[in-house]
Amino acid sequence: MLQFVLSGVAIGSIYGLIGMALAISFYVTRIINFAQGQLMMVTVMVTAELASSGYPVWLAALAGLACSCIVGILSYVIAVRPILLSNRFSFGWLVSTLGFAVIVENAAAYIWGPTSQAFPPILNGISLPIGGAVLTAQQLLAIVTAAVLAAGFEVVRRYTLFGKLGMATAADPEMASAIGANTTVVAIVAFAVSAVYAGIAGLLIGPSTFANPYLGDTFGTYGFIAMMIGGGTERPIAAMFGGLLLGVCAEGANALINSQASDWFPFIVLVLILIVSPKGLFSTSNPLFRPRRAAVTRG
Amino acid sequence: MSERPTLEINSLSAGYGRFDVVRDVALSVGKGEAVALLGPNGAGKTTVLRAIMGLVKQRRGLIRIGGTDVSALPTHRIARGLAAIAPEGRRLFLDQSVEDNLLLGALHLRHDRARTQILLASVYDLFPVLKAYRQRLSSFLSGGEQQMVAIGRMLMSDPEIMLLDEPSVALSPVAVDIVVKAMLELRKRGASLLLVEQRTDVATRVCDRLYVMTHGEIVDEMKPETIRSGGMSILNKYLG
Repeated sequence: MLQFVLSGVAIGSIYGLIGMALAISFYVTRIINFAQGQLMMVTVMVTAELASSGYPVWLAALAGLACSCIVGILSYVIAVRPILLSNRFSFGWLVSTLGFAVIVENAAAYIWGPTSQAFPPILNGISLPIGGAVLTAQQLLAIVTAAVLAAGFEVVRRYTLFGKLGMATAADPEMASAIGANTTVVAIVAFAVSAVYAGIAGLLIGPSTFANPYLGDTFGTYGFIAMMIGGGTERPIAAMFGGLLLGVCAEGANALINSQASDWFPFIVLVLILIVSPKGLFSTSNPLFRPRRAAVTRG
Repeated sequence: MSERPTLEINSLSAGYGRFDVVRDVALSVGKGEAVALLGPNGAGKTTVLRAIMGLVKQRRGLIRIGGTDVSALPTHRIARGLAAIAPEGRRLFLDQSVEDNLLLGALHLRHDRARTQILLASVYDLFPVLKAYRQRLSSFLSGGEQQMVAIGRMLMSDPEIMLLDEPSVALSPVAVDIVVKAMLELRKRGASLLLVEQRTDVATRVCDRLYVMTHGEIVDEMKPETIRSGGMSILNKYLG
């Protein structure tokens, strides 16, 4: 029991990071970037390539994140902005971001081949016994990194001018521009930050999955589920909670049902949660998990 | 030679889709002057304000603010000290506090902390109640208080011209009185105002001149004294 919960929290942190990546770009632009999983894959592939070429792992990882960031910005400039310019309320981005994902994925398969390649180990071979279970140092790193990034995002969102500007742009983009915000720059920064979050998820999972051009499909889908069950469309940090829940459900299904159950069980969880709470379990509209506001008295 | 107006609009046509909502509009607002744009619903008053802010692309004509041609400028550039708007419906950032809303109004002055603090103090001086509520979420305010925040946010950018879109709408008589007094105080401070209103009494209390707009065109220009001394019947003819 403890083992699958710990493993679930660890893999859930990765799903949560990708879910947050999707949620951050959605939060500011109301666009779901279906190429988010591929942005994660870009970091993994570039890091693996540079590390195997003899560069230090930290430098390879930074270069991987930078590439992911650039591709993330390109996804906005190529697949989103032209559509929003022609019609702000169009849903054309559904297809264009998916098309961008297919192009990036196939370009990666063309460059590196369709098979998996080695990914440099980050914290190799260290295990920590907790109760009767074991957590690897790699898993612990994933949990701690996800916690820091989730908390960091909330701090920036709530307490910095840029975070408040992001909230303003999310709430009313036209009014945000009428107070002097360049909403295009805000959107580009949101896409870049979300690409970095997805890329960090890739660095954390790379040692387990190895570098594969099709990695983005699976993790993009799980990230999307994490966002939807958590309620990340309203609050990006809720996607992290959704990811943790998803991870525990998937690992629990593997442990308690059968070893293939994580392929279908999370989707049942998704459907059930969306029936009960259509905007996600941890959304502001769910009375169970609504953030409490300080009681005020009218003066 | 007379001083150049703060706001100068010539032959403005603007609209949505293929239709011009306003046609051949010409108006001006001098430095320290308050001018009202009166007219019935659908006359195009809000579209004029939106065109000034660059929120509606103008098809023809010229808009100058403080001598700067803003016709081709994007909204966020116009909002950086040239024009600011207290829009219809107030459109506050409801999930943020009163003070955050005000500070966002001074976005282009973010590196000038001293000036931002002076502007913030001037807003609290104008609306003392906002200082008491500064940490409160703006969604928890009454309509009148929200209108004060909207006007305060506009003030915070220290613009050349302030645009107010029906600030009296849906407010109690007491709140309307507070808003009118605030606009008169702004006038004392030397602000240039363009006020869109349906309430003639509010416009005549605050403004030096009134433009009357119907069907997307300016059809008359009046002084408040003209309306007070019997011109109301002419105005009623336009306003229906």
